[in-house]
Amino acid sequence: MTKKEAAKAAVFLAGFIFILITVTYIVRTNGDVKDRFTGFYAEKKDTIDVILAGSSPVYPYYSAPKLYGERGIAAYPLSTNNQRPKAIKYLLREALKTQDPSLFVIELRMFTMPDEEWEDTMVFTRGVTDNLKYSLNRVDAINALVSDKSQRYTYYFDIFKYHSNWKTMFLPSQLACWRYEKADPLKGLQIKEGVGPADWTDYSGLTQEKEPTAEQAEVLSDLLAYIGETGKDALFIVSPYAMEEDARLQFNWLIRRIEEAGYPVLDFNLHLEEIGLDFSTDFYDYGSHVNVLGEAKCTAFLETYLTEHYSLPDRRGQEGYESWDEAWELYQTRQAEAEERCLRDIEEENWAPEVID
Amino acid sequence: MSITSFPFLCLFAVSLVLYYAVPKRAQWVFLLLLSAGFFAASDEVSGGGWYLFLYPLAAVAAVYIAAILIDRTAEQKKKRAALVCAVVFCVGLLCTLKFFRLGLLAPMGISFYTLTLLGYLFDVYYEIGPVQKNYARLVLFGCYFPTMVSGPILKYGEMEKQLYQGQRLDYKRITFGMQRMLMGFFKKLVISERMALVANEVFNHYDSYRGLSVWVGAVAFTFQLYTDFDGCMDIVLGLSECFGIRLPENFNAPFLSRSISEYWRRWHISLGNWLKDYLFYPLLRTRFFMELPKKLKGRLGKKMAKRVTTFAAMFILWFAIGYWHGGTWNFIIGSGLLHWFYIVSGELLEPQFAKWRAFFGIRAKARGFVFFQRLRTFALVTLGLVFFRSATVPDAVRMIARGFSGLGLELFAPGVLSGLGMDWIECVIVLVSLLFSSWVTIRGQKEDVRERLAQRPLLVRWAVLYALLFYVILLGKYGPDFSASEFIYQNFKV
Repeated sequence: MTKKEAAKAAVFLAGFIFILITVTYIVRTNGDVKDRFTGFYAEKKDTIDVILAGSSPVYPYYSAPKLYGERGIAAYPLSTNNQRPKAIKYLLREALKTQDPSLFVIELRMFTMPDEEWEDTMVFTRGVTDNLKYSLNRVDAINALVSDKSQRYTYYFDIFKYHSNWKTMFLPSQLACWRYEKADPLKGLQIKEGVGPADWTDYSGLTQEKEPTAEQAEVLSDLLAYIGETGKDALFIVSPYAMEEDARLQFNWLIRRIEEAGYPVLDFNLHLEEIGLDFSTDFYDYGSHVNVLGEAKCTAFLETYLTEHYSLPDRRGQEGYESWDEAWELYQTRQAEAEERCLRDIEEENWAPEVID
Repeated sequence: MSITSFPFLCLFAVSLVLYYAVPKRAQWVFLLLLSAGFFAASDEVSGGGWYLFLYPLAAVAAVYIAAILIDRTAEQKKKRAALVCAVVFCVGLLCTLKFFRLGLLAPMGISFYTLTLLGYLFDVYYEIGPVQKNYARLVLFGCYFPTMVSGPILKYGEMEKQLYQGQRLDYKRITFGMQRMLMGFFKKLVISERMALVANEVFNHYDSYRGLSVWVGAVAFTFQLYTDFDGCMDIVLGLSECFGIRLPENFNAPFLSRSISEYWRRWHISLGNWLKDYLFYPLLRTRFFMELPKKLKGRLGKKMAKRVTTFAAMFILWFAIGYWHGGTWNFIIGSGLLHWFYIVSGELLEPQFAKWRAFFGIRAKARGFVFFQRLRTFALVTLGLVFFRSATVPDAVRMIARGFSGLGLELFAPGVLSGLGMDWIECVIVLVSLLFSSWVTIRGQKEDVRERLAQRPLLVRWAVLYALLFYVILLGKYGPDFSASEFIYQNFKV
């Protein structure tokens, strides 16, 4: 083989890898999680001040456009369904590649659930790994999240999974993802409509603790150590929901452990009156996740807390934040419409169907 | 380890780099280790695992010792005894592990390496082939890993130099090999797996279908089997070509055949050649078959007595082919005796056919008539494959009977094909892919399509290759949501 032939082979291979990555980005399943991550990658470098990480108690709870519109806080949620706590470290690492946030906000609900419950359900792992751009960090995330080594290659090369989506690759919205960068007009927020009233039991008086599974405790230690290495501030939060006694005890353990490590924890469940949250109207799925009414209240509480406790810059009116102004405008319109529909549902007692999330 | 799996392709890529990195004289040792590794890395279900490698090692040992003995002794009796012992050992092992269904796991490729090794031993015995005096080299010949999946069956004389002499890195050979592998993946993952959706539905629920639906299912299986086996051979031959070792072709456009005899010269060629060389001709040389024409001459005449003798030997040959495919009557009939019947009746009726052709003024080489003959051959093969694919002979008979009971548009009722995952777009993909595959096959009769492509400008060449690569990557049926069937021939006896 001559040098020329070797060079030709290398160029052909490089072309193949480029097309493969591009095609994979395009055919990855479309939906709100893909929109959220392509939206994050589309954000201008070093424009985000707060990164939110965690599971479904993040993206419908806290509105990035509202945080910006009312307080000028540029925050973005890197949130996925049933996001395994193990993934958080890799998501923060991914965020630091293009952004220089001064604060990480991490939601804790998934720490109370054993990890093995979620590993078997591929979709929850793929929610994270298959929404990251190709990189070594992604490889590390896969190695950490997928214990079955024989299956890892289908995660490294997720075309194995998504090639059957080829019929979607000619949709303009999919083609726009060819670099995995496509602006998300609502900055990762998912506005949830519908009302599912829930009973709520007050466990705030419980002071006993219960250690989560050893694996989750270890993941937390690892995460705390990582955050320490980054030198960034971190705020851990427990989003409000109709929790059970066992979860409360685990949160008590988690909160003590985190506070001992020197980080604050904001447990929304201990401030329900201040937030003004109403379990009979503010949840869409009978106590697990808030709807648009609850989101407005949770975001308002969070933004007040952030303003009072952190010196985050007010980005409103600054150059490079035009898309955030548009997001705020769009949010106000969509939020008002959704809120109106929710209020109508409450008035008509038109409750949402049961949701299995 | 499936040769269409990603881990295998990674192993192949790494092996290829290492193969050309080691000195030429050590390359055969590397291939031997690779073959053993391939065995060890494959799971037990597909006949892998290090301890199952002991079976081929034992078979090679038996053949090796017998060949040495045959070579060293001048006494015919001792030669024959050595031959018989080795044949009994190898065939006994094969039958014990594959046919007698004793619950023992059989190593992968047992039928292929057994025939390959026995062919070598017969060649030594008949003094038409050399003796390999190095046991390890003979292990490589018997267990060369690409052939362990579905063959082809090797002839020692054709392989000796290639396997042991060492190869230099040749860009063209490697790119051609990879192109052939790509074509194999195209046939297997794009066409065969889609055809399987229709074929499985019709064969598994033939009670629900009649007429046209039955025949569409049967034709789908014919294409499924062909693209599966031929695709596998493209991968195997292409892979081996990358290592600089050209394996014998197993297919030569079988559906261009104008008769069943020609079809069997184009389909599974290495098996046909082996059975002709080591079963059929030796059979005709036995005392029984030598004397049979004399016994029949009085009653049938000299010419017919000779033909009947040949037909009788052919009966054994076709029975063997059918039996080796599965050991049950549906295989014995579907890929054996039915084809014997086609050939024998074709030969006996040829004078009558010639008269009819003359009567209707049909030229034997007329395009229309050639097309008719090809279509007829395809139909006859498809009919045989109904037996081949059915669970039992009565099932096959019932299915064929249903094929003649009405128009039968059940398969095309709204929702049926799409329910199988074969909506109109998928059907178009299959048709386009089949047309492309056929074009390559037909073109390949005149010239090497890869050579033709190599003469094109670089950009055109790469555009074609990228297009085909991503056609397979995107439209192939594989991945965690899809359970690809194994290569069909991997599970057959031969």
